[in-house]
Amino acid sequence: MAKATTTGAEGSALLRWIATSGLLLVVAVPCLFIIIQAIFPDIGSGSLAAPFSLFFRTLSDPDLFGLAGNTLLLGVGTVFFAALFAVPLAALRALFKVPGAIIWDALLLIPFMIPPYIAALGWIMTLQPHGYMEQVTGINLAGLIFSVPGIMIIMGLNTFSVVYFVLSRTFETIGARYSDVGRVFGAGQWRSFWRITFPLAMPGLAASLLLVFAMSIEEYGTPAALGRRIGFDVLVTGIENRISEWPIDLPGSATLSLVLVGMALVAFMIQRWLLTRRDYRIVSGKPQASDKRALGLWAVPVSLYFGFITFLATGLPILAILATALSRTISGGLTAENMGMDNFNELLGKGSEGLVALGNSLALGVSTALLAGLLGAITAYSVVKGRGRFRLVLDALSITPNSLPGVVVAVGIILAWNQPWLPITPYNTPFILLLAYICILLPQPVRYATASLHQLGDNLESAARVSGSGPLKAFIRIIFPLILPSMVTSMILVFAVASRELVASLLVAPIGFQTIAVYIWTQFDQGSAGLGMAMAFCAIMITTLIPLGLIGLLRWLSKGQVAGLN
Amino acid sequence: MRRLTLALTLGLMASTAAHADVTVYSAGPGALIKNLVKGFTAKTGIKANVFQATTGKVMARLEAESANPVADVVVSASWGTATSFAEKGLLLPYTSPNAETVPDFLKTDTAVAQGVAGLVIGWNTKSGTPKPTDWSDLTKPEYKDLVTLPDPAASGGTYTLVEAFTANGMTDVLEGLKDNGAIVAGANKAALNPVLQGAKAAVFAGVDYITMGAAAKGESVEAIFPESGTVVAPRPIMILKSSQNQDDAKKFVDYVLSPEGQNEVAKVHLMPSRTDIKVDRPLIGDLKLLSTEGAPSREEVLAGFKKIFN
Repeated sequence: MAKATTTGAEGSALLRWIATSGLLLVVAVPCLFIIIQAIFPDIGSGSLAAPFSLFFRTLSDPDLFGLAGNTLLLGVGTVFFAALFAVPLAALRALFKVPGAIIWDALLLIPFMIPPYIAALGWIMTLQPHGYMEQVTGINLAGLIFSVPGIMIIMGLNTFSVVYFVLSRTFETIGARYSDVGRVFGAGQWRSFWRITFPLAMPGLAASLLLVFAMSIEEYGTPAALGRRIGFDVLVTGIENRISEWPIDLPGSATLSLVLVGMALVAFMIQRWLLTRRDYRIVSGKPQASDKRALGLWAVPVSLYFGFITFLATGLPILAILATALSRTISGGLTAENMGMDNFNELLGKGSEGLVALGNSLALGVSTALLAGLLGAITAYSVVKGRGRFRLVLDALSITPNSLPGVVVAVGIILAWNQPWLPITPYNTPFILLLAYICILLPQPVRYATASLHQLGDNLESAARVSGSGPLKAFIRIIFPLILPSMVTSMILVFAVASRELVASLLVAPIGFQTIAVYIWTQFDQGSAGLGMAMAFCAIMITTLIPLGLIGLLRWLSKGQVAGLN
Repeated sequence: MRRLTLALTLGLMASTAAHADVTVYSAGPGALIKNLVKGFTAKTGIKANVFQATTGKVMARLEAESANPVADVVVSASWGTATSFAEKGLLLPYTSPNAETVPDFLKTDTAVAQGVAGLVIGWNTKSGTPKPTDWSDLTKPEYKDLVTLPDPAASGGTYTLVEAFTANGMTDVLEGLKDNGAIVAGANKAALNPVLQGAKAAVFAGVDYITMGAAAKGESVEAIFPESGTVVAPRPIMILKSSQNQDDAKKFVDYVLSPEGQNEVAKVHLMPSRTDIKVDRPLIGDLKLLSTEGAPSREEVLAGFKKIFN
């Protein structure tokens, strides 16, 4: 990354200080307590007795190999399917005039908003024998869904939009301009794509695929719903079982989490190695014309392709959710007399409970998105443009939570913030959820901001410094607006995940405080699957419409001046 | 943004103002604990705050909080938790005056059953299969690939049944199930769901109140108590020794065991622990119970189960 040539772009001390203390408070403190828990089994009651007594026993458990192997397999498989779904779509979207492009973008945002456990349940209820598909078409695909490739495909469908959005923005920034140079020198269309556009998109691709890998090895809902049926256990389900099944084994789950963190850190080193091999700076301050090619005759097949993938990722889960929400009873099936608005009436008419949960989650989602976005941008800036050894520490710290299962973060947070000697603590207030969500989701804005900062030449910032602005002002006036499109995308992702986070919420939610996911979970637990699905449907609609409204507003305000929002 | 800050601040104030109230950590069903708290506050004027989750999550939170416990009263769905807490000296000895008509096997010095669940076959009446009457029926060819069972590691009730099968030399039924293509499907709800939609015909070792609750909602499912006998899962309610609020906590336990409280228990199709509460469902006295005496340790029971089903 051409460290030696940085001129006056070494970053501001204030920003570095904010990044360091923010990460220490939000990430390092709970992580430290997880490590302590792994070593000292009785730390929960404040005792340091019997260090390492359970640590090695967990690590020498013969099952561990199987769990770690399955986790790796699932991560790689999901990355494969996510890339398979995303790369062609992103390339088409960025380089050609795809009909209804904005509508496809909006529809492909929805998979972020569907809680993975709800999507998995929707798939099961659609594809299993006597499921919705068999009720409609007479055939079922139980053999596909209850298999390891089936889990990978479904997790790939849940996560590929992460890759799609990052990559289509990256391809767009590279534009047709660079590959035009190749074509001038005689390369064919395919050749210039594979040799020029695609390699230049490596930071975006690597960052987003790493994110998918980390998301899938950390994901609980889908492997729990599908994997348990076929005896396919991964580390996260092993960790979760140790926490959720009596007798509780907190030290064991903490130890397994450290294995998981180790895996994610290796993936992260690989990504760094990929990125530091070459120079990917493509935003140089020169004006760029965005000239997309017309599709011509290909417009119809391309639209059909977009439609097919979008239906699998968005349409089918939503239809299954809606079908369950509209059914009076599940055993009644898809018949006219079994359909009605009963569940929606109960959800919205019951007075407050569901609506309060919605309000709580939306407030938490927005706060998390703003705070995590800001902290993430500052951290990424300090890492990419800063100097010294602390950068690696900051970078590693910022990706760690990505591989920590939510339930383990929750335990770390309780251990850290419920100490009797703390004079004031956010524990048992909604702020503890804010802390948990920022910790879990911080890696997303950091990854997105890092990828777009890698593409930003230092000369822009240097120009600002030469013209007399301080490092802080240069960050606010030059860097921040340039990475804003990526940040908005990542903050939408943070908002969506935070407003539906389940596993950590269930454990650290203040007493009597309900969020969307906790409400849905409670309904399922009471056997009211329809009511839970009605809530899921409303939540998906609301969390989709808010970011879309926001993007519309931003586009209107910036009048198209901010690249990447169109 | 300002409204958001306001909302968060209000939430903060609400939860700090609630510190003097009774704090109850309860395993499901959610409707039961909500109604119990409502009735308790109406009767005594004392407020109660609830954290409701699964037994495992309640225990995990208690364990993580043990340096600075928050809960006063704990309701669990597994009697083993009460025994283990008592051994660790975490519980306050208390015998409620309302516990007089609770049978002896449902109370100790430090815990008493809130209610009792029974283990049943949950059968889909529209599945086109003959109605099963005993556990071993589900090993017959009519139920090939049509049976689910909850994982005994995740469901306390299923664990007790497997324990009893092991103690009574009935593990051949489990082997027969495996040979007949039965699948182990997570916790109780995950095992029942495929039966409701018709993907499977029956849950082996379903929980009676969950199955009856689904039937009451209009689902075509029936709870069948097998002829050869079953097991019950008492749900202990206990007061933590660390409670700063022990008098109010005792009043809460009294309320749960009062006729009003026990009627709330009956409303969610659980068996009341008091024998003098009459409800319209099979009660403990009507059930043939399998003994778990002589069963090996938990690890061995689970390992034996895993050996059959893996």
